[in-house]
Amino acid sequence: MTRRLYIPQDTTARAVGADRLARAWEKERGVEIVRTSSRGAFYLEPLVETDGPQGRIGWPNVTAQGLPKILRGEGGTPISDIPFLAKQTRAIFANAGVTRPLSLEDYKTHGGFAGLEAALRLAPEKIVEELSISKLRGRGGAAFPVGRKWQTALETHADQKYVVANADEGDAGTYCDRMVMEGEPFRLIEGMLIAAYAIGATKGYIYCRYEYPAAAAMLEAAIGILTAAGYMGPKAAVPFDVEVFVGAGSYVCGEETALLQSLEGKRGMVQPKPPYPAVSGLYGKPTLVSNVLTFATVPAILARGAAWHASLGTEHSKGTIALQIGGRVKQPGLAEVPFGLSLEEAIEQFGGGMATGARFKAVQVGGPLGSLFTKAGLKTRICYDEFARAGAILGHGGIVVFDQETDMLALARHFMAFTADESCGACTPCRVGSVRAREVLDGFVQGRGRPGDLDLLADLGETMKQTSLCALGQRAPYPVLTAIEHFRKEFR
Amino acid sequence: MSAVAQILSRPDLPDRADRDAPNILKTLLAIQSEVGHVPPASVPEIAAALGVTDAEVAGVLSFYPDLRTSAPGRHVVRVCQGESCVANHCGRVLKEFEKKLGVSLGETTRDGRFTLEKVYCAGNCAAAPTVMIGEDVHGRVTPEKVGTLLKDCR
Ligand SMILES: Cc1cc2nc3c(=O)[nH]c(=O)nc-3n(C[C@H](O)[C@H](O)[C@H](O)COP(=O)(O)O)c2cc1C
Ligand code: SF4
Ligand code: FES
Repeated sequence: MTRRLYIPQDTTARAVGADRLARAWEKERGVEIVRTSSRGAFYLEPLVETDGPQGRIGWPNVTAQGLPKILRGEGGTPISDIPFLAKQTRAIFANAGVTRPLSLEDYKTHGGFAGLEAALRLAPEKIVEELSISKLRGRGGAAFPVGRKWQTALETHADQKYVVANADEGDAGTYCDRMVMEGEPFRLIEGMLIAAYAIGATKGYIYCRYEYPAAAAMLEAAIGILTAAGYMGPKAAVPFDVEVFVGAGSYVCGEETALLQSLEGKRGMVQPKPPYPAVSGLYGKPTLVSNVLTFATVPAILARGAAWHASLGTEHSKGTIALQIGGRVKQPGLAEVPFGLSLEEAIEQFGGGMATGARFKAVQVGGPLGSLFTKAGLKTRICYDEFARAGAILGHGGIVVFDQETDMLALARHFMAFTADESCGACTPCRVGSVRAREVLDGFVQGRGRPGDLDLLADLGETMKQTSLCALGQRAPYPVLTAIEHFRKEFR
Repeated sequence: MSAVAQILSRPDLPDRADRDAPNILKTLLAIQSEVGHVPPASVPEIAAALGVTDAEVAGVLSFYPDLRTSAPGRHVVRVCQGESCVANHCGRVLKEFEKKLGVSLGETTRDGRFTLEKVYCAGNCAAAPTVMIGEDVHGRVTPEKVGTLLKDCR
């Protein structure tokens, strides 16, 4: 009897040895290796699974020597008994760890293309209405209502329209877009096909960051498979082509207008809005730019109905959020849950508390532009409005926990140096302000901080917040100023 | 014909098919992926082939951090400086690489084997600290593992 072993193919699983296992075991007699996506319980990777009587059995943190035990069935845990996974509400990541990323058959038997089929039975206006009722908001950071954006793109008449997936995933600490692209690329493309049909676009791009070569390769392969199977191309039900465009390491190119400049091959300079891309975007044509996760959510909304989506979450934050919990927690990984749990619950229930030997110092939510919270802020509920009230952002769902050994001054300097490096230079407050603020922080680091420097930082920060053209300059002061607010003693 | 000229003469570049203008970034990335970097001396040649000004090509070349203007070492080691890796004290890993290789961030070893760089997140944040060597991603890297990682580079 051949035993089937499921080994994830995801970048993080491979980064901790999944390929080594697959290579070591591929010639074993009686073993069949199936490469799947990852469940996102990354603290357990490499997580090897087998089929059990009631679903999959998993063996966490396996080494090449672990095979005999697995074959004897010793020491495995039913996947459904792992609290980290059992406590989640998986919708977009329902198939994570289950299916093979490039198997159209797997995708279809696990609900793939049900959303597209439902969409094709509706008029474009009806699809947009469904999205509005679903209350889905963009997952890339700005949380703009998706229905409204599609409405604008639909109503703007033009000979050519574009659909662009923002796969720049620039926020350090986030990887859910990568997981979609590597784990279930068909889902992203299905969402883009629905968008193309709804707004009348024939050409699409996926702008993928340079640091994600595996994701880009997976997307290319998926596009080839879907084209061969007749889902894409000029003769498909939705005549639509998608091209993968690889960026070149600029954070600001994740901002939609800079991204479109970059897609045209130019410097990634932020452009003033309006006009919004949905009216005048790529090459001046109406362009729907959305985050990977936003597109990946659309098929489920059409397949399960807008009411399903609107039933999850809090009043103004509907659906699920893909939390990417990392830093010094015990259990780093992806937690897909309805909006509304507190930061503390996220860190305790999913993060599993602090890693061995680590004590909590602060947590940053929402990437390099996100605010820092201390213990006092951990009751904040994870939803757009409570975060907005706290002057914070959810961004792309990254949660990074820092321990007692973190030097807050060095961290603040790191954030401002990042902004100074990444500023596109289109506006003065960000271009000049970030360099000036970095100099002031350098002064503290070198022990020549002067009285009044903290006030200077506050003033610079206020100017950047009020007068910068885009969220990079507007938000960059927050991590620095919240670090000063909570850890003033360290800034001397 | 130079390698750059060869790439520029390919029918899919400068990629005018359905566009109003040639795509400078895509052209530069294509050159980099084959030559390893974009030689600044080839800017006029690229500009001429694309029908744009030298300044436009140079502007794009200088804007993007991942575009290289000089040949890197045989192995490009990129130590992640993203927040999740910072939280996991990646600075100690970086120090160990600097010590073992005898170079600082941004430099290439004298024998041309290694270039040491930083990266702002490789999406491997849940198995931080992260090090990319070429396209390979390594997770949970501790200073103790640095020696083995370097030895595995041929
Ligand atoms: C500096 C900066 C960086 C950004 N980076 C990203 C990114 O990496 N990925 C992303 O989807 N959106 C990013 N955004 C947000 C985009 O501008 C845009 O709002 C988003 O792609 C729209 O998609 P959504 O409505 O699905 O969120 C960034 C914005 C700013 C200001
Ligand atoms: S805020 Fe910074 S990144 Fe944004 S447009 Fe101004 S200079 Fe560019
Ligand atoms: S922060 Fe280092 S891999 Fe994401």
